Amino acid sequence: MKILDIALKDMLRSFRSFFAVVFMFIVPLLVTGMFYFMFGNIADGGEFNLPRTKVIIANLDEGGPKFQVDTDNIPGGESADSMGDLIVSIMESEEMSALIAPTYAESAEIARKAVDSQDAQVAIIIPADFSDEFADIYGKAAIEFYQDPTLTLGPGIMRSIMNRFMDGMSGVKIALTLFLEDAPPEDAALVGQVVQQYLHLSLAQEDDIETELLDVRTPTNAQENKAEQSENLLLSIISPIMGGMMVFYAFFTGSSTAQSILKEEEEFTLQRIFTTPTSQTTILGGKLLAVFMTVSVQVTVLLIAARLLFNIEWGALPSVILAALGIIFSASSFGIFLNSFLKDSKQGGVLFGGLLTITGMIGMIGALAGDSPVARKLSNSVSLFVPQGWALRGLTQAMSGAEISALLITALVLLAWSTAFFAIGTWRFTKRFA
Amino acid sequence: MPNSLAIEVSDLHRSFGDTKAVQGVSFEAEQGEIFSLLGPNGAGKTTTISMLSCLLRPDEGDAYIMGHSIKDDQMGVKSVLGVVPQEIALYEDLTARENLTFWGKMYGLRGADLKKRVDEVLDIIGLSDRAKERVSKYSGGMKRRVNIGVALLHKPKVIYMDEPTVGIDPQSRRNILDSVVALKDQGMTVLYTTHYMEEAQELSKHIAIMDHGKMIASGTHNELVKLVGQQTRINLTLDVSANLVQDAWESVDGVSQVIAENGTITVLVKDSNESLPLLFESASRHSARITSIDIMEPNLETVFLHLTGRALRD
Repeated sequence: MKILDIALKDMLRSFRSFFAVVFMFIVPLLVTGMFYFMFGNIADGGEFNLPRTKVIIANLDEGGPKFQVDTDNIPGGESADSMGDLIVSIMESEEMSALIAPTYAESAEIARKAVDSQDAQVAIIIPADFSDEFADIYGKAAIEFYQDPTLTLGPGIMRSIMNRFMDGMSGVKIALTLFLEDAPPEDAALVGQVVQQYLHLSLAQEDDIETELLDVRTPTNAQENKAEQSENLLLSIISPIMGGMMVFYAFFTGSSTAQSILKEEEEFTLQRIFTTPTSQTTILGGKLLAVFMTVSVQVTVLLIAARLLFNIEWGALPSVILAALGIIFSASSFGIFLNSFLKDSKQGGVLFGGLLTITGMIGMIGALAGDSPVARKLSNSVSLFVPQGWALRGLTQAMSGAEISALLITALVLLAWSTAFFAIGTWRFTKRFA
Repeated sequence: MPNSLAIEVSDLHRSFGDTKAVQGVSFEAEQGEIFSLLGPNGAGKTTTISMLSCLLRPDEGDAYIMGHSIKDDQMGVKSVLGVVPQEIALYEDLTARENLTFWGKMYGLRGADLKKRVDEVLDIIGLSDRAKERVSKYSGGMKRRVNIGVALLHKPKVIYMDEPTVGIDPQSRRNILDSVVALKDQGMTVLYTTHYMEEAQELSKHIAIMDHGKMIASGTHNELVKLVGQQTRINLTLDVSANLVQDAWESVDGVSQVIAENGTITVLVKDSNESLPLLFESASRHSARITSIDIMEPNLETVFLHLTGRALRD
């Protein structure tokens, strides 16, 4: 019981220390958070924040006798008397409103000037004979796409939309060609009906006919895919960083908490405990238990906080638990081991500033160097010379979805490190206070 | 060991490398008395206390605390013992109540008994109303009181107090001295170490004087004073170097010892009324002028000076 009393007292003191709490929880999360926000805007909850592209449309299409379509079947509304009207109605649709801000010009010249004066980014000029050319089997329906050459993204989106539209219309054109090749000349007046039928048949099963025709959702799909890819990219960046931070600061906590043995000796409270009817084994056991318990709380909190704050996937629960235990035992025992060689807590500066930082950086080479082959090689070789490297390896394996069996070698190595550190550390402390 | 003895120390020795910190210390303290170990810094008092607290193992000798050997029955010793260390051995980031609760657990107290005893001790040390404040916010005197309170938690039969009044204000010092007497009145045996002669003189029936790791004298106040006879101590300062008159004054009638230290000359005489005119006359002959005089009747300071040739405060 006394062993737990001592451990709980030490934990209480640790968590009351502003300095300790900052380095246990705040700094690892803050560093990861910095990376998260640095790269996070590319995902930003899966929504684009692109400014709407300013499009000026000069719809000069006069329609024509060959283009008699029932407007009820024309996507975009009732006002489409021509192919040009069809394009305009698409541009004004709700789905497009997030992407473009359309304005209108009475002539091609005005539309081009608007782009030249940077009042618009793109001008879409629909010629007067666009519907006629479209309906003519030998005609060539073309839209003029006039853009600010200094811009890429907004005009690129518009070009994509228009290409998609024209691809959709190509299907209609092919149908018309086949129809008119064998039809008598007088049947040319049926072109409108053919278009109507095509649209009707191709869109009959669609609730969102604009989507089908123009694939208006293409940018949205791209947005979602991109968001998903961005989220994955973001996680692939910050997950190893968070893992590295956790390992680094767990070892920091292990050492700083174990240093309480030296500090208590300097504060004379350790000697005072020795004057109570409490065995040396219990006293030292309590002090060492405090190290394990404090690091355990830290690792657990960081695992949960990182999951909640950054959505980091740590892997399957059994694997994560094994990896976390590896970190806890190695960090705690390493701290006990290092402190057992110190004469007093003043030498702790050397410990934290030097040895712990150096070994920590070596262990985190893989996490810091990214996903390059060199980094992988380093993390699989150099970093494994220090316990931090093995601890991070275990966590990385869990994050990559490894089963618990795949972590066994890493866990065994960490157990061996921990046992050796703990045995040497406790032996030295026991000898010191004998 | 007779039942009346709470502490029986027999020929304790302890060295640190070549330094002999304690050399053959022996003394006895009866149950319910305050026993003082008096000596300057570095005399070996704390090392002796550390051995009696089972923090240090003696190289030679043994001691029995309420019949428990410090060598063979350390848990027995610790169970009857309360230790007030010279330093403030508390957790400053915990409150007074949290400190007392933790230390109570270390002494084996649990549950309702622990809570009740913590409340009692907070009342004894007069900090009940500030029990929830962290110790770091306390004054030096308040910390000293908590430091003492910790040793009282398990109602020990013997309490060691190692220079508990060092570095505190006169009012807190008075409170501590009063509390030591109160502990004695409750039947506890107090082993009190100090380098303040007046504290030992006020508190203790028996006093042991230590210097350089050795016990140089032991007994009651009267027994110790008799060691130097009825000599009076006169402290004088001159307007010239003390060396000018030191040899001359040693040959003055009635003077037994002349010690020059730090600009002050201490002279031990049988009768100050007879010796002072002669000292003035001698000083005048050597063109020296006495600028201040302090006459002290025989006390423990005089005893220490007599036995060691040095002032106790040094």
